[in-house]
Amino acid sequence: MTEPSSARIGEPLPRVDALAKVTGMALFPSDVPAPETAYAVLLTSTIALGRIVRIDSSAAETVPGFLLLLSHENVAGCIKTPHAFAGLSTTTVESVQVMHDGQIVGLIVAQSYEGACEAAACVRIDYEPSSAAAGFDSPGVQRRRVKEANARHQDPRIGDADAAYVSAPVRIAADYATPTQHHNSIELLTTTCWWEGDRLTVHEPSQFVLDRRYLADCFGIPVEHIRVVSRFCGGGFGGKTSGTPRTALCALAARRLNRPVKLVARREQAFTINTYRAETRHHVRLAAHHDGRLLALIHEGMEITSRPSTYSVAGTEVTARMYACANIRTEVSIVHADRNTPGFMRCPAELPYMFALESAMDELAHALHMDPIELRRRNDTDRDPIDGRAYSSRSLMRCFDEGARQFGWSDRPAQPGTHRMGEWRVGYGCAAASYPAVLGASAARVSLDGEARARVQLAFHEIGNGAYTVIAQAAAAALGLPLASVEVELGDTRLPPSNIAAASNGTATTCNAVTRACAMIRDRLLEAARQDPLFGTDPSLQAAQLMDGCLVAGGARLPIASLVERIGGLVDAEGAYIVPDAPPGAIERLRQGIPAFGGGVHGRTHVALSLGAHFVQVHVHVLTGEIRVPRVLGVFAAGTIMNRRTAASQLTGGMIWGMGSALHEATIVDPGSARYINRSFADYLIPVNADVPSVTAILLEERDEVINPMGIKGVGELGPSGMNAAIANAIFNATGRRLRSLPILPRHLI
Amino acid sequence: MNDGHSLAPESRPAMTAARPLRADGESREAVPDIRPTVTTRFAVNGRFHAVEHDVRVTLLDLLRERLGLTGTKKGCDHGQCGACTVHVNGEAVLSCLTLAASLEDVVVTTIEGVGSPEKLHPMQQAFIDHDALQCGYCTPGQIMAAIACVRDGGARDASSVREWMSGTLCRCAAYPQIASAVLDAAGKMVD
Amino acid sequence: MRPVAYSRPRTPEEAIDLLVGAGGAAMPLFGGTTLLDLAKLEVLTPARLVDLRALRPDYRAISRDSDGIISIGGLATMAEVARHPLLRREVPAIVAALDQAASPQLRNMASIAGNVLQRTRCPYYRDISWSRCNRRIPGSGCQALAGIATSHAVLGTSDACMASYPGDLAPVLAALEASAVVMGGGGRRSVPIDGLHRLPGATPQCETVLAPGELILAVRVPHFACLKRSTFVKLRNRAAYEFAEASAMVALDLEGGVVRDARVGLGGVATVPWRSRAAEARLVGMRPVDAAMDAANAAFREAVVRSDTAYKVEMGKRALVAAIRQAVAMDIADD
Repeated sequence: MTEPSSARIGEPLPRVDALAKVTGMALFPSDVPAPETAYAVLLTSTIALGRIVRIDSSAAETVPGFLLLLSHENVAGCIKTPHAFAGLSTTTVESVQVMHDGQIVGLIVAQSYEGACEAAACVRIDYEPSSAAAGFDSPGVQRRRVKEANARHQDPRIGDADAAYVSAPVRIAADYATPTQHHNSIELLTTTCWWEGDRLTVHEPSQFVLDRRYLADCFGIPVEHIRVVSRFCGGGFGGKTSGTPRTALCALAARRLNRPVKLVARREQAFTINTYRAETRHHVRLAAHHDGRLLALIHEGMEITSRPSTYSVAGTEVTARMYACANIRTEVSIVHADRNTPGFMRCPAELPYMFALESAMDELAHALHMDPIELRRRNDTDRDPIDGRAYSSRSLMRCFDEGARQFGWSDRPAQPGTHRMGEWRVGYGCAAASYPAVLGASAARVSLDGEARARVQLAFHEIGNGAYTVIAQAAAAALGLPLASVEVELGDTRLPPSNIAAASNGTATTCNAVTRACAMIRDRLLEAARQDPLFGTDPSLQAAQLMDGCLVAGGARLPIASLVERIGGLVDAEGAYIVPDAPPGAIERLRQGIPAFGGGVHGRTHVALSLGAHFVQVHVHVLTGEIRVPRVLGVFAAGTIMNRRTAASQLTGGMIWGMGSALHEATIVDPGSARYINRSFADYLIPVNADVPSVTAILLEERDEVINPMGIKGVGELGPSGMNAAIANAIFNATGRRLRSLPILPRHLI
Repeated sequence: MNDGHSLAPESRPAMTAARPLRADGESREAVPDIRPTVTTRFAVNGRFHAVEHDVRVTLLDLLRERLGLTGTKKGCDHGQCGACTVHVNGEAVLSCLTLAASLEDVVVTTIEGVGSPEKLHPMQQAFIDHDALQCGYCTPGQIMAAIACVRDGGARDASSVREWMSGTLCRCAAYPQIASAVLDAAGKMVD
Repeated sequence: MRPVAYSRPRTPEEAIDLLVGAGGAAMPLFGGTTLLDLAKLEVLTPARLVDLRALRPDYRAISRDSDGIISIGGLATMAEVARHPLLRREVPAIVAALDQAASPQLRNMASIAGNVLQRTRCPYYRDISWSRCNRRIPGSGCQALAGIATSHAVLGTSDACMASYPGDLAPVLAALEASAVVMGGGGRRSVPIDGLHRLPGATPQCETVLAPGELILAVRVPHFACLKRSTFVKLRNRAAYEFAEASAMVALDLEGGVVRDARVGLGGVATVPWRSRAAEARLVGMRPVDAAMDAANAAFREAVVRSDTAYKVEMGKRALVAAIRQAVAMDIADD
């Protein structure tokens, strides 16, 4: 009998959860049946700033099937101010205060969904509105430096950039802007929950099920009494962390009604009850020698935030570390407006900040009459320009060179606005992609049975990142089993603690943890093999490998199944990976809902960046200004790739996110009221299939000996980084028009 | 089914008990449910159903909340995302904008009805083969749209597939892989 | 959604009785793509839905009579019309407008009658939390005046309302002198599509000239020599599945390169489906490509703009010029 061959790291295997997803069998949290469920609908404010004067629920209460209205009048102090990851967020339900548009002000529960909707529409809320500040240009906003608002923040700087800029031979200075954007995962924000005694079970889509602190705080129970389950999450993108006020309200309703409560928040509410990518503005100045070497880099950024929050993404942490330059000054400010608190959204810092830097680099190349790739080559570096740390690995120019070759960059018209195909102007653009290779902490339990079937358990998250697949693949590769012999369980607080699925840390963090647990199992199998009368004395045993279902040493093979049988039919181990910079007790902290982050630009010994290069061909219609992007190519280097297929898909998806940010996406804020006015998929445009005729992601081999034992860097957030600049640069190449404010629309080109 | 009533269902009131709570948490007397209901008789995935429901119930909510067919997803509830795409009498429609009451005598097919794990529809297999999904939430809608695209003659070439599939949003943006999957399955579909 | 009763009449007479009897509180339902959308938003709050589905077999046919008039059943779906060989052959602009409208799923659902009657996309109209909207609440004011109006109209606006008519098909029909066959409490009548929608004026809440209970049973497209050389250009930000920022329908009858007869329709830029007779007049007797810019300027001479809608004039002109060029370039097969 031949054993099936074992899975290998990097192999482009099909997703292990694909079957469940294509048959509709994958149970997303709102699909989980809950008998006797009552249906909840959120009430959200229709003003951005002011006070609730009166809530008249008399009509709502007459709606047949009406069960409950929760508002500040009767939550009895239960619903607290949410903590959010990056500081205080805006208030909700615990007082009459309204601090942003669409703030949750109540929850209606009824026997049926239709009844809940009807009752919600019958609630009359009177407000005493105040004049709300909508954005950067509104009266009443308050601007301050991030380093003044947040003592731990440091603006990267070195040398005397202002002096170097003034005296440099070639200089550019430009202002860039990016708009408000929303996650808009297709799955809505849902919560289904129920109580058993003082124990709460919550099914909701989550990127961090262990974040139970807020709920524990609201209900005065230990986090261990709260179970959060999210087997599948219909897109996260930074918008789905557990333990928000909506969850607490649903849980409170479930407690008062003593039955399960299910909430499916409306699409328009997802724009206001969740975080978002705040609008940014940038002033960038670059100065260089005539040969292109940078003399000065000044990047000043400004971001919107809410009144109480000091949240900022401060992408200068990355833009200051892209290129060799002796004189760098960065500065980030926040502007407090009457808005909801922003938060992570895929590629949070780099999408806006790399747009500014990579557009400016293109402007500088043009001013120098230099190819933009050549400009980046002249400023490539193997040391962090701020503090001299080495990069854990850096293949930026390899990405540019391979991309240039595959894309046909040499066909690029050097003079902007000179290349036409019929009625279309044609332009090529490129830009660097960069995202910090952040790591976290995770435990993982692996068990192996007498039929050589492995089970891997950890409280990580499948959000489209391919977590089920790459974790199974890591275990299969380490245990020498085929992928089909590994079963993975994720998304449940009952499983061993794992990190938040964010900042592209997941694959590296979890696969290292799983591999470590598998190594412990291998040691146990080796021990068992030593008991084998024929095999035990084999001197090559020390170098034994698990492959193709066998323990292989020298010329001998012992089936793994028989080894497991020999030691009782089951062997299990719990391993962990903890990023070296993590504070002590990282796994216990995870259990308490505190995510672990380290590495990236803040590593003690190295700077770790996933890098890449985008190449874009755009067509701009001569008459109508219509913009089409017929061809996009990205080349990326991100250390070890666990699965080339899922990684490539994540990267092409990310690249399309970047295309959307360049050409489509913007949440529009009504300036007089500080309210969003395009809260729907018909009005907030994300790319559709027809927008992306050809998108290719190439993965370069890269060995990173430093970053973690497996050398994994992560790719989830890399794809969007710099893509918007590549498109803007290509539009400049096509038309000679430099557009510095996103999104770029046909109306800007006519 | 042609009993003279099926084509002219009039809504009628129904009585069900409810024990509502007031905002202060106090219980009060039950009020009669007088919201109009209607009974709809239709087939889903080859199975006949006669369901009495509130007139306002959409096909999407009926499938998910009454029939336990949760493969069909709610992404916007306003006909803008395509995640709720099902087939009604063989045509792709949006179940969130389809009133269940209007489905008398029709045949509905959902993702649960196009194939099974043991015997996948060629389109389902193609989605797996081309990695045409990431988070998987829009996938049932994509597959239902994709099957209709092929049947409708929309899979002539890559460009027509992309155009046809543009009404079904994928935020993970698996679009290139989806287009490849549709073209691949187009050659393998028999119906 | 508010409580609503449901009926499924078997004849138009029954339907009209139900609709007229309810005095405007009942609304006809077919595809639901406008009605259910707006009912969920509580913009529309019908007390009764009168489902026209049972009437469909009698009002879905597409045919041409001996005078060359093409009749399209009001309950034919957008998809059925778009794929009909007669229309593909005889009136390419109708097919092009439908093919670029909405999505395949929506086109399978929406009827031609419902499509023509679709409502504006003005965000202040679609969200009832805005208390000022003359279209929704007569006399309440216009929030868009003080707000953001990038999707709004530049033609046919009034001080009370500048919400744009969003559809692609109706401007085509309006310019092609199509008419709606309407039946209501007062019997049958014919209503030109160019005139079916009312300009907002001081009463934007009165969106059409239809009386309560009047149903569009068919749309009739008269024969003109220019139909075959008709085309439709839609400008939008995405490559697909988006309402028009500006659209233009052009139909030309050419003789020796000179325009003998022309029709021009504009969408996305006007408060109602817009026929531009001024543009048509600039084209007749001219070589169309030479006269295109002149026609475009004429079409927008009366435009009323503000800073956020000014681009619409430029987009509209360019859509029209592009459509003229496209029409000229069409390869028209002889009968």
